[in-house]
Amino acid sequence: MLTELRSYILNKEYYKYRRPSGIDFAAEYAAEKLPPRARVADRFARICALETPLIMPGERIVLTRTITDPNAIFIKEEGKERIDLPCIYTKDEWLAVKREHFIHEAGYLSNVIPDFAQILSRGLLDYKKDADEYACRMIDALIGLTDRYADEARRQGRDDVAETLARVPRYPARGFREALQFLRAINFAAWLEGNYHVTMGRFDLYCWPYLRADLESGKLTEDEALDLLCDFFLAFNKDTDLYYSIYRGDNGQSFTLGGVGRDGKPVFNTLSKLCLKASKALKVIDPKINIRVDKNTPPEIYELGSELTAVGLGFPQYTNDDVIVPGFERLGYAPEDARNYAIAACWEIIVPILSADIINVGALSFAKVVDRAFHGALPTAKTFDEFYAAVESGIRGECAAITGRMQNVWFIPSPLYGLFFPVEDISKGGKYNNFGIHGTGISTAADSLAAIKKYVYDEKSVSPADYIAAVDADFAGHEDFLAKLRYDTPKMGCDDDYVDSLAVRLMDSFADALEGKRNCRGGVFRAGTGSAMYYLWHAEEIGASPDGRRKGEGLGTNFSPSLYARTPGPFSIIRSFTKPHLQRTVNGGPLTLEFHSSMFATEDGVRKLAQLVRSFVQLGGHQIQLNTVDAATLRDAQKHPEKYPQLIVRIWGWSAYFVELDRRYQDHVIARSEYSL
Amino acid sequence: MTGTVFDIKEFAVHDGPGPRVTVFLKGCPLRCRWCHNPEGLSPEPQLLWKKNLCVGCGRCREPCGHEECRGLGRCWRKCPKGALSLSGRVWEAEALAEKLRRSAPMLAAMGGGVTLSGGEPTMQWRFAAELLDRLAPMHRAVETCGYCSGEAFGAILGRVEYVLMDLKLADPALHRKFTGVDNAPILRNLELLRASGKPFLLRTPLIPGITDTEENLRGIAALAGEDPVELLEYNKFAPAKYDMLGRAYPLPELPAPRTPDLSLFRNVTLSRLS
Repeated sequence: MLTELRSYILNKEYYKYRRPSGIDFAAEYAAEKLPPRARVADRFARICALETPLIMPGERIVLTRTITDPNAIFIKEEGKERIDLPCIYTKDEWLAVKREHFIHEAGYLSNVIPDFAQILSRGLLDYKKDADEYACRMIDALIGLTDRYADEARRQGRDDVAETLARVPRYPARGFREALQFLRAINFAAWLEGNYHVTMGRFDLYCWPYLRADLESGKLTEDEALDLLCDFFLAFNKDTDLYYSIYRGDNGQSFTLGGVGRDGKPVFNTLSKLCLKASKALKVIDPKINIRVDKNTPPEIYELGSELTAVGLGFPQYTNDDVIVPGFERLGYAPEDARNYAIAACWEIIVPILSADIINVGALSFAKVVDRAFHGALPTAKTFDEFYAAVESGIRGECAAITGRMQNVWFIPSPLYGLFFPVEDISKGGKYNNFGIHGTGISTAADSLAAIKKYVYDEKSVSPADYIAAVDADFAGHEDFLAKLRYDTPKMGCDDDYVDSLAVRLMDSFADALEGKRNCRGGVFRAGTGSAMYYLWHAEEIGASPDGRRKGEGLGTNFSPSLYARTPGPFSIIRSFTKPHLQRTVNGGPLTLEFHSSMFATEDGVRKLAQLVRSFVQLGGHQIQLNTVDAATLRDAQKHPEKYPQLIVRIWGWSAYFVELDRRYQDHVIARSEYSL
Repeated sequence: MTGTVFDIKEFAVHDGPGPRVTVFLKGCPLRCRWCHNPEGLSPEPQLLWKKNLCVGCGRCREPCGHEECRGLGRCWRKCPKGALSLSGRVWEAEALAEKLRRSAPMLAAMGGGVTLSGGEPTMQWRFAAELLDRLAPMHRAVETCGYCSGEAFGAILGRVEYVLMDLKLADPALHRKFTGVDNAPILRNLELLRASGKPFLLRTPLIPGITDTEENLRGIAALAGEDPVELLEYNKFAPAKYDMLGRAYPLPELPAPRTPDLSLFRNVTLSRLS
């Protein structure tokens, strides 16, 4: 059954039921001058009413979008991004909104985790007590749609589906299947409301009571539970092409497993284990699995995780409580809230229910800061420390620009999703309102500083003027120097303190520059080590760099060695990348390692991978993701995409089908894998 | 003293218990026709040339004055494209040990260690022995073809905690034909290995039509007796390194691989390495 459902979804057979709404919502709303909550609610209710109930072969966890708006372009001044929902604002209205407010990305709520435990135990009807007219209308519309699904189920003789829908989302879930169907309905509604990066939080914490009860009462066996879970996981792959994202896969549908609860007790349970099994069995890109670990996490958990890595999913990603929890406490999160953290979309860290953190307000380009100091301060700086002072002041300047940019931020309200948070309006803020800033190109920057220190200040073998001329010429006519810089100069990832200490310094400067700054919502700023898509954007902003990176070459992804660095291997990389004071850079951003897929063909190989990840955590690493790739296969897939429809690779914080990516992202993955370990 | 090393691989997963750092010592007395590490055969440093990256600029031919480039005719450090690398660097034992010891805490935590491989590590056994002494108390293993003097074998054996030893062909004549040497010294050293009481694993690469024949596997099984054997499936693709050394792969087209009859053995595992 599941195999059939899986191929039905992956082959996109259900696309044939899709049709446009045919309604120009924005024009109507503009004419009526409707307030934003009314617009969101009206679009949601009318689309629910237009939806065609669709039950796929063998499907038990239902709800699939059929109303699409293939022409919808999300309005953004610079460039256009798609969001497959009809707009609620006309272009002129939206530009007016943007003149008045800072609009973050798509303008909708993202990267928040509602109180799933409470949702499941209350049922939607109970929320009508707290709801305004708009939210009430949305609840009714969603229940109306699930009722029509129930009718269709009965028509098809699928009484199991009809019985589940008679309970949820109306009433509290009474068992595991109802809980899963309820969560599916909430997830469906969240996206349809306009929210994005809809992340699932600590699933094995809030959903475990339902499974445990069913297992204890004998209502379900573990195998039956796994089957249901697979069905539920597949649902996360249904509408992904309609979601707001740059690429399919970058949708933030993340699960966080393991770790400790607010009380400090370990969470990892049978449901966590079944999640890993389901992912391994399905081999699809969603949902993305994150495992919280600490120095006491037993080897078995790493082994289960490594089995997923070995099949090439690009996840799980591991996050270390021993770094994150104290790091979060330093930022002002209460200890019990810090202990309850979860992954937002890619690797950014938030607190379920309480965070209205905006985890990606900008990105500091370490590489650009060094580039500016190189061109500006190098000719006059007499010592390396004097030169570094210019770098540090550059970091402060960039951070001031990024933190100052975001004033008067405003989000399109979420009348329905907002009900599930313990504040009046989560789009206006929550208990935590901290802003996160990525840090990109750390190794390009540290390697550049090492080269400058070595050749200009220590050896004095190159004059600042010659060095700048060489970089500005993209090393044309300076080939010897280029070769020396690229292949014979200290690089981050080689466990060489000469360069690693400079990375430590850069990251400290970043954290220092943000310390004490307050954002427009009263929160603080969090430094991070992620790159998101900036590893290409920031590379395009600068020419060649002083470490021998040629113009046009990308930066490393997230927290990783430079693409062409000849590192001795993962042990040295791990030692280099655990030297910085990572508790100060806890916004998120993993060390990203690429391995050749053949390494983990045996169980023994998988066990050794688990040992490697565990030792990273024990050395105090904060976050790690691992890709198993084979450059030859990837190149063949570029030539014959039809042969590899389901080849999965990890991009920056999400996994994707390789053949669906733009060429530049494909090329970057190949470049990374050329130096795979 | 010094030795010549052509690669150091961190996180080797097929070279002994736990994750390991494997040190490849240059030089090998055997000439197995299926050899996948041809850069390990000669004891001398050699240039590896990635033809597809080379733009023919000729910078590598300009005199460089590097000690390590003497006699190579080119300077690998000058290549702006990274097309050249040097296979084989001369290390002082203590300098190499110091480098390897940086991984000691991680290796201990993971239950791994250092493995000396090659080439054939016993070719440089005095260097290997000094290096191993300097690595204690790390877990040490050796991966050997077993073809060396009893003195060399004993010197290494006494300094490792685990041995991976190849048994390629049981028949002496076939052994001579396909590896270039007689297997009598190997079998003598196998006895030393058994007598040492050290844990070990015998390994046989499954080369289609050469070592994977039923006759050979019966012979290997008889030699192994109760001792553990690992059969390694063979990757038929010619290793890229032959190209980089400017040499042709000596193995002709092979027949299709056969599924080995594991029931011939008392204690066997089958692995696919790459």
